[in-house]
Parts: sequence; structure tokens; C-alpha cells
Amino acid sequence: MHGLFEIDQEANKDSFMNNLDGRIKLISSILIIIYAVSSTDLLILVIIEIYLLLLISLSNVSAKYAIKRIALIIPFGGFVALIQPFFQPGNVIWTDPFGILQMTDYGLYFGTLLLFRVTVCVTSIVFLSSSTSMQDLVASAQKLGVPHQLAMLLNLTVRYLFFFYDQLMNILNAQSTRCFHIFNRKTTYQWRIKKVGETITMMFLRTFEQGEKVYLSMMSRGYTGNTRIYRAKERLDKRDFAFMGTTISMILILQMLNIMVL
Amino acid sequence: MHLPDGFIPLWQCGIYWIIALVALGYALIWARKNLDEKNIPLMAVLAAGIFAIQAMNIPIPWGTSGHMVGAALIAIIFVSPWAAVLVLSIVLILQGLIFGDGGITAMGANIVNMGIVGGFVGFYTYKSLKGLGRIPAVFLASWASIFLASIVCSLELSLAGTFPLIEGLIFMGLYHAVIGCIEGVISVVVILGIDNVRPDLLSQWVRSKKPGAVE
Repeated sequence: MHGLFEIDQEANKDSFMNNLDGRIKLISSILIIIYAVSSTDLLILVIIEIYLLLLISLSNVSAKYAIKRIALIIPFGGFVALIQPFFQPGNVIWTDPFGILQMTDYGLYFGTLLLFRVTVCVTSIVFLSSSTSMQDLVASAQKLGVPHQLAMLLNLTVRYLFFFYDQLMNILNAQSTRCFHIFNRKTTYQWRIKKVGETITMMFLRTFEQGEKVYLSMMSRGYTGNTRIYRAKERLDKRDFAFMGTTISMILILQMLNIMVL
Repeated sequence: MHLPDGFIPLWQCGIYWIIALVALGYALIWARKNLDEKNIPLMAVLAAGIFAIQAMNIPIPWGTSGHMVGAALIAIIFVSPWAAVLVLSIVLILQGLIFGDGGITAMGANIVNMGIVGGFVGFYTYKSLKGLGRIPAVFLASWASIFLASIVCSLELSLAGTFPLIEGLIFMGLYHAVIGCIEGVISVVVILGIDNVRPDLLSQWVRSKKPGAVE
């Protein structure tokens, strides 16, 4: 959630990648992720990562921002990847002086493979979300066949994400002006948890009240349940097909190389 | 508990995706049948609220931090586990697509763990324990929803060959047993808070202290 506004700012920049159709970027990113998850070759994953970094550089996204986002997400997968060498079966290549931990060759390979896969998949999502606005992403999903009701729910959720993030920040700021902080250990843990509960209650109540307001304002504007989502760009052009073609060709070439050479 | 891409083989991801899509389909049918028009936009707004609530880091006694999931709470407030499936699915789809929090291929597994297991365990634990009193029932339902979701998550990782079963059950189980207590306390505070301020938002089933009073 942190950096919600940063993601939105990056997604609304003007660049070659930002101007491509959302559907094409969504399909390409998912294809890359599926291929990366199915791949067992480290070199192929490195090549895909380079391709993705190239795409990010064409998206007018600051390198610092992209690296920060990738680095922030990797620790989740990184931990599981790091412990792989010590419990996967295989030939033992290292034993600690006390004989408790043993590192295997297959475990080392599998851990590296997991880490590379997670990195490629996260980079693909960073590329997608920093070159496509959230509204465009949801509208693209609807164009690709996501049921109307689900697309409408996703669209409304995206719209109110920013509102509730602001609301939460307002509550937290108001609390900090009263010298309250959830992580401040000078007060008892029990009391802090109770305050967190009250904050969440407040968020729930605001959510309910906002939901009622949204419904009433939608009704007053003629809402019937058959809402259409507005999209600025409808048709695919040459650039969209070129990008899609490049991505599919890259995956096919890598797969052929994998079968023939690697 | 958000599983990233790459940890579960594709064929297993496919199975979780199918289960998640069937459940999501049922949840949408449930929404159409049981909610009036007013509550459908409310579900979306609620998902945005849950998104913000999940972004709030909560301290955990031994120094790290966690966040709330809220599946049991939604299932209890809306008197249906399908509400939790629907709201959590929306939240997880957006978290995966926009923030990379939870993978795309692993999204099915994440919806199964947090939405389906979390929502159903939360709802039915509350329903069966309501006789004990509202506060212990809400607490135990929220605790069980988190604890069992983490157990299912470690089973999935073990089936995928990514994490050994026993160690996974111990690590994930112990960690989430503590997180579950915090989720339980917060859920109780939220239910009592809503009951105090806007009792009209809660159904009679949640407000009444009599066991078995299902609407």
C-alpha cells in the first residue's frame, strides 16, 4: 500500500510504454510470469529480467523507483529461497562446523531458481503497474472478458483506494498529533491493540457511510446496474501489435533455445 | 501469507485457480441474490477500506509486524462466508496486480487461503461457538480463520516441494497462532464498536446473544 500515490504518478507519465494499450501490457506481463514460473533454467530467467528492465527503462520510470519497488517485495520470497539449500535433498557440498546444517547442490540451485523466478515475476508486475493506470488495468481486464459485475466492483474499489488511504492517514496523523504511535512501547501493548481496533472500527464505519453515499449518488445519476466503464483508447494500433509480437517472439525463441541448446 | 509467484508449480496453481474462480462465481451469484443494489457498491467500497486496513502495520510481541486480514470479520458482519470470499478476492486481485503483494499464478492459492478458508472457517466457527457468548465466539472465529488459513498455506507449500511439511506447520502455525490472537482481539473491538455506534449496520444474528438465532 505504501507508495500508492507514487505508483499512480508513474503510471500516468507520458512514454512509449505508458501509451500502449492496457490489454496488451496485461497479457504480456501475465505471459512472462507464466513462462518464468514454468522455466527451470537460470540463464533464461536472467534474459527475461534484462528484457523487463529494458521495458521499464522505456516506461519513463525512474530507475531508483523501480529498483526500490522490486527490492521491497523480494524479501518475502527471499527468505524461503535462502533456506532451500539446507533442506532440499541432493549431494552435500558444505557442512557447518557443528554438523547441524548441510548445504546441498540441488538445494542451492533450487533456492537460486526460486529467487530468480520471484525477481522476474515482481519486475513484470512493477513494469505493468508503473506503465498502466489502475483504471486502465481494470478496464482492460473487463475488455478481456472479466465478468461485468466483478469489473465494476474492481473499478469502484480502485476509485476508493485513494480515498481510504487518505482517510487512514488522516486518522494516523490525528493520533500522532496526540503523541500516539502504534509502535511506541511506552504504553502497554494491550492498550495499543485496543486503539488499533478502534481505528479499524472507525475505518469500517466510514466505509459503510461512504458506501451508502456512493450508492445514493450513483442512483441520483441514473445507476441501473448496467454501468459501462469509460476507456480513452479503444482500438489496438501497430505499436501495440509490435510490442505483443516482440514479447511472444522472445518467449518462443527462449523456449526453442532451451530445447535445442541448454 | 501472500504467496508469491514461482513457489507453486503451474499445474498446482491451475487447481487453486479453478477452486478460486468457482468460489468467486458463487460469491457473485450470492451477491446478486442476497444483497440489494445498495450493498453491491458497498462491497467495493468495503474492499477499498479492507485494502487500507491491511496496509496498517500492527506490532507483534517479538518485534516484527503483521497486518489484519479481516475475512472472519466480513463473514460475520454480512452473515455469509461468500461476502468474505468476494471482498478478499477483490483485495487480493488488486494487491497482486498493482503492488506485487502475492503472485499472479499464486493468486488462486491466496484466494483459497485467505478468502475461502478464512471466510468459511471464520463464519462457521462463529456460528457453532455463538452459544459461548458473542465475544469469545468472534475472537475464536477470527483466530481460527487466520490459524487454519496458515496451515492450509503450509500444506500447499509442502505439496509444491518448496517448504518441508513439519517445519512449515510449526513455523507458520506458531507465527499465525499469535497473529490470530491479535486479529481476534481487533475483530472483537470492531464488532463491539460498530454495535455501539451504528447498531443498525449489524444483523440481529450478530447483535443477539441468543445462540442459534440465524436470520
